[in-house]
Amino acid sequence: MSRVGVAALLLAAALAVIVPFFLKPFGIYLLSMWAVLTIAAIGLNLTLGYAGQISLAQGAFIGIGAYTTALLMQIGVPYALAFAAAGTLCFAIGWILGYPALRVQHHYLAFVTLAFTTLVFLFLRNEEWLTGGIYGISGIKRPVFFGWSTAKPLDFYFFCLAVLVALSLATWWMLRSPWGRAFVALRENPIRALSLGVDTRRYTLMAFAIGSSLGGLSGALFAPLVQFLEPASFGLNRSFDLLLMVIVGGSGYFFGPFVGALISVLLPEWMRITEGYYLIIYALLVMLLMMFCPSGVIGLFERIQRMMRRRPSGLAEVQTS
Amino acid sequence: MASFIQLLVSGLATGAIYALIAVGFTLLWQTSQTINFAQGEFVMLPAFFVLGAMSIGAPFWLACIIAIGLSVLTLGVVFKFAVVDPMLKHGVLPLVISTIALAVFLKEAVKDFYSSQAQPFPTLVPANDIHVLDAVVSTQSLAVLAVAIVTVVGLNLLLQKTRLGRSMQATAQNPTLARILGIPVRRMVLYTFLINAVLVAIASILISPIYLAKFTNGETLGLAAFIAAIIGGFNQVRGAVLGGVILGILDNLSAAYVSAQYRAAIPLLILIVVILARPQGLLGRVEERTV
Amino acid sequence: MTAVLQVEKLCKSFGGITAVNDVSFDVREGEILGIIGPNGSGKSTLFNCVLGQLSPNSGEVRVDGRVTTGMRPCDLNRIGVSRTFQLLQVFPQLSVRDNLILAGQEHRGSMFSRLIGQSDAGLTPTAEQMISFFRLSHLADEQAGLLSYGQQKLLDAAMAFMAGPRLVLLDEPAGGVNLTMLGNLRERLQAYHAERKATFVVIEHQMEFVMALCTRVLVLAEGRIIAEGKPDEVRRDSAVIEAYLGH
Repeated sequence: MSRVGVAALLLAAALAVIVPFFLKPFGIYLLSMWAVLTIAAIGLNLTLGYAGQISLAQGAFIGIGAYTTALLMQIGVPYALAFAAAGTLCFAIGWILGYPALRVQHHYLAFVTLAFTTLVFLFLRNEEWLTGGIYGISGIKRPVFFGWSTAKPLDFYFFCLAVLVALSLATWWMLRSPWGRAFVALRENPIRALSLGVDTRRYTLMAFAIGSSLGGLSGALFAPLVQFLEPASFGLNRSFDLLLMVIVGGSGYFFGPFVGALISVLLPEWMRITEGYYLIIYALLVMLLMMFCPSGVIGLFERIQRMMRRRPSGLAEVQTS
Repeated sequence: MASFIQLLVSGLATGAIYALIAVGFTLLWQTSQTINFAQGEFVMLPAFFVLGAMSIGAPFWLACIIAIGLSVLTLGVVFKFAVVDPMLKHGVLPLVISTIALAVFLKEAVKDFYSSQAQPFPTLVPANDIHVLDAVVSTQSLAVLAVAIVTVVGLNLLLQKTRLGRSMQATAQNPTLARILGIPVRRMVLYTFLINAVLVAIASILISPIYLAKFTNGETLGLAAFIAAIIGGFNQVRGAVLGGVILGILDNLSAAYVSAQYRAAIPLLILIVVILARPQGLLGRVEERTV
Repeated sequence: MTAVLQVEKLCKSFGGITAVNDVSFDVREGEILGIIGPNGSGKSTLFNCVLGQLSPNSGEVRVDGRVTTGMRPCDLNRIGVSRTFQLLQVFPQLSVRDNLILAGQEHRGSMFSRLIGQSDAGLTPTAEQMISFFRLSHLADEQAGLLSYGQQKLLDAAMAFMAGPRLVLLDEPAGGVNLTMLGNLRERLQAYHAERKATFVVIEHQMEFVMALCTRVLVLAEGRIIAEGKPDEVRRDSAVIEAYLGH
């Protein structure tokens, strides 16, 4: 990473730790939401940015993770186990969904995940005996670890931040391993990758399953953050939102999800002046972004960096040609 | 038996509409690798063109013509030149994302600039019931069926019997070869966009009396288009027609026999089953493995 | 003499056009077989059928006696068949060294062991060997996308050799490469062949390259083999001359 990049990272880390102390509870809540959604966005970035597949089910996986955690806690399961269960369940579902869908050439996963999200929504809404239907589940408690309660906003925020850092490190470590190299190969030149023995289908499936699992873990944090769950939070709109987070931040870049999630969480607040037209403006901006800089915000920064580095030698090129 | 016939007819009518939407979707995919996630919203929009034209005094038939024209302009020409062309050079993924964003944009635009309430929409023929074999069948269903059949047959004739149509098919199957043969590929691609615009406009006019014109229509209709196209087999226009009809009939049957709560799940389950068991669809060819 | 590759009665048609028409041949261990022929003779289609990119309509492909018709390219690679490409050969954003490590990593251990093991799958020494053999040492840490076309071709060959394959199929290796680099490439291929007793199959347009490199040549025209033998014999064969001149 460049020196500018390292400096930016350190600054961001410092802000993430210090700023919450100066915020009102709602501000802390927004920051916690950012941390939670970034985890889901990191997962989607694996699927989309590294394996090149469109998943419209990330919202549903957050929902499955959230409801699983809430229901398990209701019957007395400790939070840590519920957290693990949410992740494992979503990994399994992701594998089962992806296995047939990824055998085919086209973007069938997009349609399968679209259908799946709608099915999950229907299930959550209809099975009132389990999920509370449209009335949802309320009164979800925040976890307590060895006597330390995360009930207060600031405490819960640092808990979310800790989980985010842990999962980010795990993802970073995975991307540094041969798997990471295989993912890049998958994205850059799948035909060449196949000819070198890279089982593209297996790796794509793995990326999707892990991505979905991260969605589930995000949901496991979402439940105690919001403390009230309803089916409408986990439908297509949520999936689109996450997709846009990954794209706008920069798909395929490690820090893309962090940036994208921040923009997405803060945007409605900034756009309050536009009085509800913000979705239209957001959609327009995304289309423009796709046209001019499909590699998102981080991609834009990289491009600017490259242009600035090229400037001195660029002059020399002009002189010799 | 009577109610079965009723269901069958109304199912065929709905199916015919789905077929129109699915055919347009498949054509775009085949000729220009455009996966149009906004297809549902494309069907939602022209109804509002009609309502808009009528609100400034145009009679229904004129409003429909205006709507088709506007549709060709915006969903055909503008869509191709302003959205698809600039995006395609970045690859398929950015284009798909853009159509997703476009869907959101169109939906919100209608909600904000027209109305969030469902609007009643005029039927093609005055509502009337006729009796066929003991069953009561609405004239609207028959009119819809008639228009849809004429459109599909007309489109088929265009594609199979005219030189233009065959050029378009050649472009869809192998653009490089088509170019070598002297076919103006870019113009052929433009024509598919225009045809899609006409198809979605007609579908819009046919389906809005039933669904009412509402900004959320795009979600269900879009899903129907994708499912119909996949069931039928992505690389076949005939497949899209078959898929649409099957879907329409199943949709109406399930309305009668499946609980209202899970009715919407039937097409989704069918989609998952098709992708599991026969991903190339009912009529599709198994594609050469390139990866 | 063991046959590493056996192609038997292979046929492939697209719609009405028969691209490969009842082609059979063997590739013996240690030889460098060249497959040449005018445009449209079916060379690439034949290649892609052998390599699993296309499924033949009929016929069989065997590697070391084992039927491999229709096997996925990645499975084929794991039993020891490697290839180079005409275009798009390398992974532009990875460094030269990483490209090579990638080329070998899928042969080390299981998918899971690769996740928890070393980040280079223990392949750095082999990669370094390959880098110096192909004289790319000064470029080892460069992004592969920044290399010149000729250098990418060398890297492509190096990647194909990383896993120590039984059989290497080279798809138009000389295409678009300047003369000096071409000589370089040919020399390195011959050196590798001599050192490791490798078996190559080369598809090529450029006659000089094939004549200088190959030990045996097959000539394809309109989907059929029309001549076979040592490079000099084939070059003088009247049927071959006509096939080329006729186009």
